Amino acid sequence: MRIGVPREIYTGEKRVATTPDVASQLIKLGFDVAVETNAGAAANYSDASYESAGCSVVSIDEVWNDSDIILKVRGPEDDEADRLKAGQTLISFLWPAQNPELLQKLTERGVTAMAMDSVPRISRAQKVDALSSMANIAGYRAVVEAAQHFGRFFTGQITAAGKVMPAKVLVIGAGVAGLAAIGAAKSMGAIVRSFDTRPEVKEQIESMDAEFLMLDFEDEDGSGEGGYAKVMSDEFIAAEMALFAEQAKDVDIVITTALIPGRPAPKLWTAEMVESMKDGSVIVDLAAEQGGNCELTEPEKVVRHHGVTLIGYTDMPSRLAAQSSQLYATNLRHLLTDLTPEKDGQIVVDMEDEVFRGATVCKDGETTWPPPAPKLSAAPPKAKPAPAPAPVVEKKRSVAGPIIGMVIAGLALLGLGAVAPASFMAHFTVFVLACFVGYMVIWNVTAALHTPLMSVTNAISSIIIIGALIQISSENEVIKWVAVATVLLTSINIAGGFAVTRRMLEMFRK
Amino acid sequence: MNIEGIISVSYIIATILFILALGGLSNQETARRGNWYGIIGMAIALVATVLGVVTHNYIPLFVALLVGGSIGLIAARRVQMTQMPELVAILHSLVGLAAVAVGFANFMDPDRLSHYVGVELTIHDIETYLGILIGAVTFSGSVIAFGKLSGRMSGSPLTLPGRHYLNLALLISAIWFAYEFVVQSAGGGGMQPLIIMTVIALLFGIHMVMAIGGADMPVVVSMLNSYSGWAASATGFMLGNDLLIVTGALVGSSGAILSYIMCRAMNRKFLSVIAGGFGTGGGTAAASSGEDQGEVVPIEAEETAE
Repeated sequence: MRIGVPREIYTGEKRVATTPDVASQLIKLGFDVAVETNAGAAANYSDASYESAGCSVVSIDEVWNDSDIILKVRGPEDDEADRLKAGQTLISFLWPAQNPELLQKLTERGVTAMAMDSVPRISRAQKVDALSSMANIAGYRAVVEAAQHFGRFFTGQITAAGKVMPAKVLVIGAGVAGLAAIGAAKSMGAIVRSFDTRPEVKEQIESMDAEFLMLDFEDEDGSGEGGYAKVMSDEFIAAEMALFAEQAKDVDIVITTALIPGRPAPKLWTAEMVESMKDGSVIVDLAAEQGGNCELTEPEKVVRHHGVTLIGYTDMPSRLAAQSSQLYATNLRHLLTDLTPEKDGQIVVDMEDEVFRGATVCKDGETTWPPPAPKLSAAPPKAKPAPAPAPVVEKKRSVAGPIIGMVIAGLALLGLGAVAPASFMAHFTVFVLACFVGYMVIWNVTAALHTPLMSVTNAISSIIIIGALIQISSENEVIKWVAVATVLLTSINIAGGFAVTRRMLEMFRK
Repeated sequence: MNIEGIISVSYIIATILFILALGGLSNQETARRGNWYGIIGMAIALVATVLGVVTHNYIPLFVALLVGGSIGLIAARRVQMTQMPELVAILHSLVGLAAVAVGFANFMDPDRLSHYVGVELTIHDIETYLGILIGAVTFSGSVIAFGKLSGRMSGSPLTLPGRHYLNLALLISAIWFAYEFVVQSAGGGGMQPLIIMTVIALLFGIHMVMAIGGADMPVVVSMLNSYSGWAASATGFMLGNDLLIVTGALVGSSGAILSYIMCRAMNRKFLSVIAGGFGTGGGTAAASSGEDQGEVVPIEAEETAE
């Protein structure tokens, strides 16, 4: 079958649906790949590079007329849709819920259309999940845009010319984009805080070394189906807004990524909050396309309001065209690999398969969207009442416990000192110090070395052989032979333990 | 020539080498050097003890050393990489068994009563008792861990009803027999409570590891490793040997920390792994483990496949 990759004609769209690298892998799957002239130019992929990867570079008419499969980034424009004909397969972003007319038109033309935005969010389909790839890029780019408009360093410095305070970044919504933004801002040296209605992302935020802003709300879990967020109660929103109002006075940069599937973006950042921010602050609204999380955002524009720059770009991935083309093309390739079980260049759209079923919006003149509800969501559905999130408990952990423990331990030691003979205390001192040495030495062990370390400590613990050696010269026959047996046992451990450790460490040799 | 002094210095060198070995093993670049430090340290300790302390019975000693050493080397060479954890587990059991044997041998030594009197005898007896107790737990626990890791036993946790109370009962009885033992030993007896305690400790070790699931076995092996260190340390107190005390404490504390780190790396709560069957501190940990267990969400095979 022949794959056609037309040039994106949407204004300002720089991405392309395949890259030379990916195209050569598609060819290995048995496909012919035809790329329209200059399709990759805006993303810095020249026609020559496609040709050297084995693609044919052809005119716009040939791409649309002679291809069995059309790969695109954006959904087809009107005149593009008119070029489609029955039997062709179109794979691109389609957003069927937002574009019912397009869906109808595609259905009428009899094409099989697969929407990359409708791939179900299950583990197996992660490699096909173009939304995540694009969100990742958007989050990264949001930080770059913010840095562009922010008149200061992100990182803190102490220089001869004075102290530079690090920028404070607030990321609202810690989904894929939010986490990417956290990572990018963190690596530029900023202090990053993040808020999300779903308590389970706390761990993810903290693993990125950012601070999770906690709301003292016990019963409400913002996780909806498929790992997305859901609408929260009024009280929750009020508490959330109070938190944001407080943060607004403190932070320099706000990146909002809050979206609820199938709804306009929640308004989280009010005009008053914008006004209370410091002059020179920057807000990047990644939800601008769905109306924006900030009241003052203007989609596709950068505006200044009260000394605050509001960035409402809706084409963040396209602004990193080479990167996003590469990731998107790889997502498409994974989908095509799954669609081509025989690797013979013939695609089989198996409607029993959850991934293909979810992605296919129309087939053979019939609309197949929306698909039946997915059987499993990303997080296990809460059948039983979920255990109340731990946060509240965690903050109030009392210091009394450890103190009481220490006092008891101290008293016990004093008691011991009062009765024990001097020789014992000398040994005991050595013992306690050795415990601390062991603790200090081990604390920073690399994860890969856990097993070798375990095995070397095991070998060392066979130092107990000294005990047997002390006893082996006894006059008592029983003691002597017990000691001999012990020497035998421990020497197995000594030799075995060190040899095993050595073998394990050999594996790490470069 | 001051033999005592030379032995002491050798022991100090051995101790330092062991510390360097542990420190070296916590980093990729120094790991292999660390292993060599350990080997050299062990060799120095052995040579110093054999030359300085041992006076008779060299022949059985060297035969035992040679036979044991070759068995160990062959086992280490033959074993598959994937069987490493179970080999380490079975090796632990040897240390546990050795601690028990040394403890009993020491207790049988008739000079004991003339050496120690009063408080010293009590402390000495408690040390002996502890060494054997920990050694026995290490031994039986390691054997079970080996069984679970090698697939000779089912990996699923065995949860007897009221197992925390069972453990508590075992612990209390162990303390009771400790008292009995100390009292009887002052009068020259004490073998009976010592043996009963050993059996209790063996049961305790079995029950403890049986209650922990197969996936948590690496942590358990590391915990047992820590125990084998404490056993060596207790033996050191018993024999008044600083090398044993220090090395045992090193192994004990580093093993405990290592198991904690491993739990953290696997995103498991330390207590819920260890208190899956018992608590190190006895009653308190056993009581709290009830709550900890709620955190484990079992995953169906289907979900995993998705």
